[in-house]
Amino acid sequence: MAMQGIDLARQTLLDALDLAILVEEEAQERYEEFAEQMDQYRNAEAGRFFRYMVENEAKHGEELSSRRAERFGNAPRKVTRAMIFDIEAPDYDAARGFMTPRQAMEAALASELKARNFFEAALPSIQDAEVRALFQELRDEEIQHQTMVQAELAKLPADEPFSAEDFADGPAPQ
Amino acid sequence: MSATGTTEFQPKDYKSDLKPIWCPGCGDFSVVQAIYRALAAIGRPPHEIAFVSGIGCSSRIPGYTTAYGFNSVHGRSLPIAQGIKLANPDLLVLAAGGDGDGFSIGGGHLPHMVRRNMDIAYIVMDNQIYGLTKGQLSPTSQKGRLTCTSRHGSLEAPVNPLLYMLAYGAGFVAQACPTDLAGMAAIIEAAIRYPGFAFVNIQSPCVTYGEEGQQLKALKAVSESLESLGHNPADRLAAMDLAQDYGSKLHLGVFYRNPEPPPTYGDLVKERQELLAKDAIPKERILDLFIKK
Amino acid sequence: MTDYSPGSRGIGQGAPTRRDLVFGMAGSGGDGIVSAGDSLLQAAAAEGYHGVMTKSFGSQIRGGESSCRVRISTEPILNPGGNLDVAVALNWEDFLKFGAELPVSGTTVVIYEAATNIEPDNIPLVGITPRQVIAVPIARMAKDTAGTERAKNTVVLGLIAGWFGIGAVAVMKGIRKKLAKKGDELVEANQRAFDAGRAFALDNPLTVSMAIVPSETKGAVKLITDGNDMCAAAAIFAGCQFFGGYPITPSTEIMQFFTDRVWGYGGAVLQAEDEIAGIGAAIGASFAGKKSMTATSGPGLSLKTEMMGLASIAELPLVIVDVQRGGPSTGLPTKSEQSDLFAAVFSAHGDVIRPVLAPTSVADTFRITVEAFNIAEFYQTPVIVLSDQEISQRKETLDPIDTSQFTIIDRLVPSGPDLKDYKRFKQTENHISPISFPGLAGGTYLASGIEHTENGAPTNSGTVHSRMNEKRIRKLDSLKDRKDLFEVLGNPNAPLAMVAWGSVAGVCREALNMALNDGLNVKLMVPYLLYPVAEGAYRDFFSSVRKGLIIEQTHLAQFHKLLRMHLDLPAGVRSLARSGANPFLPGEIVAALHHLLSELQRRHEGKLQPQE
Repeated sequence: MAMQGIDLARQTLLDALDLAILVEEEAQERYEEFAEQMDQYRNAEAGRFFRYMVENEAKHGEELSSRRAERFGNAPRKVTRAMIFDIEAPDYDAARGFMTPRQAMEAALASELKARNFFEAALPSIQDAEVRALFQELRDEEIQHQTMVQAELAKLPADEPFSAEDFADGPAPQ
Repeated sequence: MSATGTTEFQPKDYKSDLKPIWCPGCGDFSVVQAIYRALAAIGRPPHEIAFVSGIGCSSRIPGYTTAYGFNSVHGRSLPIAQGIKLANPDLLVLAAGGDGDGFSIGGGHLPHMVRRNMDIAYIVMDNQIYGLTKGQLSPTSQKGRLTCTSRHGSLEAPVNPLLYMLAYGAGFVAQACPTDLAGMAAIIEAAIRYPGFAFVNIQSPCVTYGEEGQQLKALKAVSESLESLGHNPADRLAAMDLAQDYGSKLHLGVFYRNPEPPPTYGDLVKERQELLAKDAIPKERILDLFIKK
Repeated sequence: MTDYSPGSRGIGQGAPTRRDLVFGMAGSGGDGIVSAGDSLLQAAAAEGYHGVMTKSFGSQIRGGESSCRVRISTEPILNPGGNLDVAVALNWEDFLKFGAELPVSGTTVVIYEAATNIEPDNIPLVGITPRQVIAVPIARMAKDTAGTERAKNTVVLGLIAGWFGIGAVAVMKGIRKKLAKKGDELVEANQRAFDAGRAFALDNPLTVSMAIVPSETKGAVKLITDGNDMCAAAAIFAGCQFFGGYPITPSTEIMQFFTDRVWGYGGAVLQAEDEIAGIGAAIGASFAGKKSMTATSGPGLSLKTEMMGLASIAELPLVIVDVQRGGPSTGLPTKSEQSDLFAAVFSAHGDVIRPVLAPTSVADTFRITVEAFNIAEFYQTPVIVLSDQEISQRKETLDPIDTSQFTIIDRLVPSGPDLKDYKRFKQTENHISPISFPGLAGGTYLASGIEHTENGAPTNSGTVHSRMNEKRIRKLDSLKDRKDLFEVLGNPNAPLAMVAWGSVAGVCREALNMALNDGLNVKLMVPYLLYPVAEGAYRDFFSSVRKGLIIEQTHLAQFHKLLRMHLDLPAGVRSLARSGANPFLPGEIVAALHHLLSELQRRHEGKLQPQE
């Protein structure tokens, strides 16, 4: 995960909010992509969980957007998607065709941890009090998400005794 | 490093609607993302970009961008890319493919790409296997590797893409990996910006046929940035020395970048075209050439 | 809670009456439907049945839509069949993607996953009312018994055993063997899933019994293999000691067979850097005196063109297997077509004739490949074996082949007087010169692509060139007299006729039987030798023919055109040709024959009745 062209220490609240919105947007798109990959593998259960995450990210993004609109109206956005790279979006490497819902949730947990660490790491250098408060909130939100996903994980029945590899067809040459 | 967010284009402007056939977890997903970002940073409109590939899983990549794509035949992306660039030097021309496409069947085209030095960037997604055709040996597979055409173990030492390209005299040679996403995007951008032929080898693991030791988790453990080693990218010999670790260490970054890039083939062609333009007989009178004097 | 124990249940099916069943099953890669088909085929073979299995996939590497078709019979099987007797759909979206390959008719029994929540009278099959439609809670049964929904494929096998009488014991025996290394738990889970499927079937008998009669040949040894493996095995049998090639779908398995095994015969195999290097290495091995081979598909054949011309002018034996797929260019890598014919026949510049042979099934791939080596060695020429994706990837049961029936022919090597002042390209009566090889004292010669005199020296003389072209072309004339490379079935003097080659011949054999049963007076010619065109064989065949079809999977009707280049066909003989990935079905060919019949009858009428 990476960032370019943003000075976290000196960013304004507007930029910080826009950054947070884009982080959610990136994550949302990534979960959508994962859901589509699961469709290709007819992996309905993992797909369902990823779509649930899409909704979560969308909701959070919307909430941040309305706050931004309230506070700053139509002020032009200076932060762009090109400046962030996999802040909260799960690594592509986390997905597997026959992944179980448990593995899908673990991927989500890992990405939330990633995001939480990002916001936490930025805190000490942030100068603006409002921005700091926002980042603390965002960090706490990630912790909350983790708890939510962990609750879902706990609800999961034990993983099936056998893996997909025990039954699925092998790859086909193209 | 790149100038970010200063162009009117966003990475998503380079993403097409076609759904990749790649297996979930494939390294190529990260590579195409990095390409979107590099192109956004450079800011050429998608319709001014020509993206040529050969045949293989990674060669499907042009179809996943909004550039003019050409998914051609196995191993021949480079000659086609050269033709495109010569026909319209103003286009941004990219070529991509896998290790088999580039270093097996396509191997004969590499030294000529290098010595002609057209302003083209070539990205190889190296996963040491032939994925599309179901897991055969590739030219970068380790000796002794078990694959479906080497169930008793491969008898051949692998090619070293980095060393070969450096030895051929390429003006820009780099290696990247999804273990460092931003680095990968930056390297691709630098390769495109380099005025001449640029080669980027990307370790892009295959989750279906690759071994444990080839997956990103394992690669993280053996990766080292060239910058952290204090490598000077203007030193070709030092670069070649480091390149010998291909297969055992994963060096990420720019191995070599010519500090004084020579004129590209395109520059020389342009010069010649301008020079000869003045004396060119109007086409309608071309047969005057045959008038008996 | 449903009781899935096998217990003792009445048969409830009525006595078995069927002798032939065609199963079509579709789902996604994760459902393991192709593995199930494979288990079914193996079990059927173990029980003494004849079986054929084909598979078809989407374009994803893994996990996408997958299907297989398994045909099981008490008689030898001519081709994978037409309409399905049994359709198994694990989900409808994927099943419908295989519309052309898995046709459902009014006599089909449709078994589908109840969890799709579609009512049996509302399944998405347009324009047809199947014989019976049954929703089965396959996934739930799998989950209840094996602990995972993924065991669906084993439940399906149990259903098939219960309803159709195949594999009641043999399926699980095979699965146990296959999973032996993976642990008892997995095996037992499969057993429970299988039992549940079988119990469900026995508890819910079909409205019309479709159980298959027991095979009379149970216990007899059966082979199971596919076209690619058969080709490679035949090559090794024929004495091939070198393979040079490159991976390309759908021929790679031939190379894999060699990389696994040829070492043990003192031979070698090279997965070269590209197609051209592959055939180059094979040509080198042939020059060195070894029987050698390369294998590829359309795109590779195009690349190998120049080398093929070299082998022809250097008069070097070589077998080139082209497993055809959809073309042109990259085309359709996983679909069958017959459109490489022109390339096989005409590729390479210059006046070249290159024998082209075509197997029609997995079984005859053995004989044709052995024959290809014999022809290559005897005539000292490259020979192309035109297989196709259908045959190469299809698994068939076969009766054992008695290899002692085959004669293996080796190239004519010079000895004694030949080696005094040896001339490699010496003119002889049959135009075939003894061919030496490096290491043979006295036999040194220059092989080259440049035109040459009798002793191999380069020349640009028109006279020599003309003589050498004549030698290289005339030496193949005797091939055209090979009656054993043509098969004629049906009524020898029939006025209605079909000509078909490759995998299409298999479909036509079945269509022929159906048409003969309908009382049509019809015959079928299957050429195994496609080139040079044996005009005599065709003239004999067509002498009685008034109406006929040249049936092929090429959009350009390549074989029809090739025949017309060499002989005049009767006016009533037409082409029935279409692009690959659109398989012919026996039923449609029979319909086309009926159409020809009515044309014939109308014409006849016109002749006999007076003008109005």
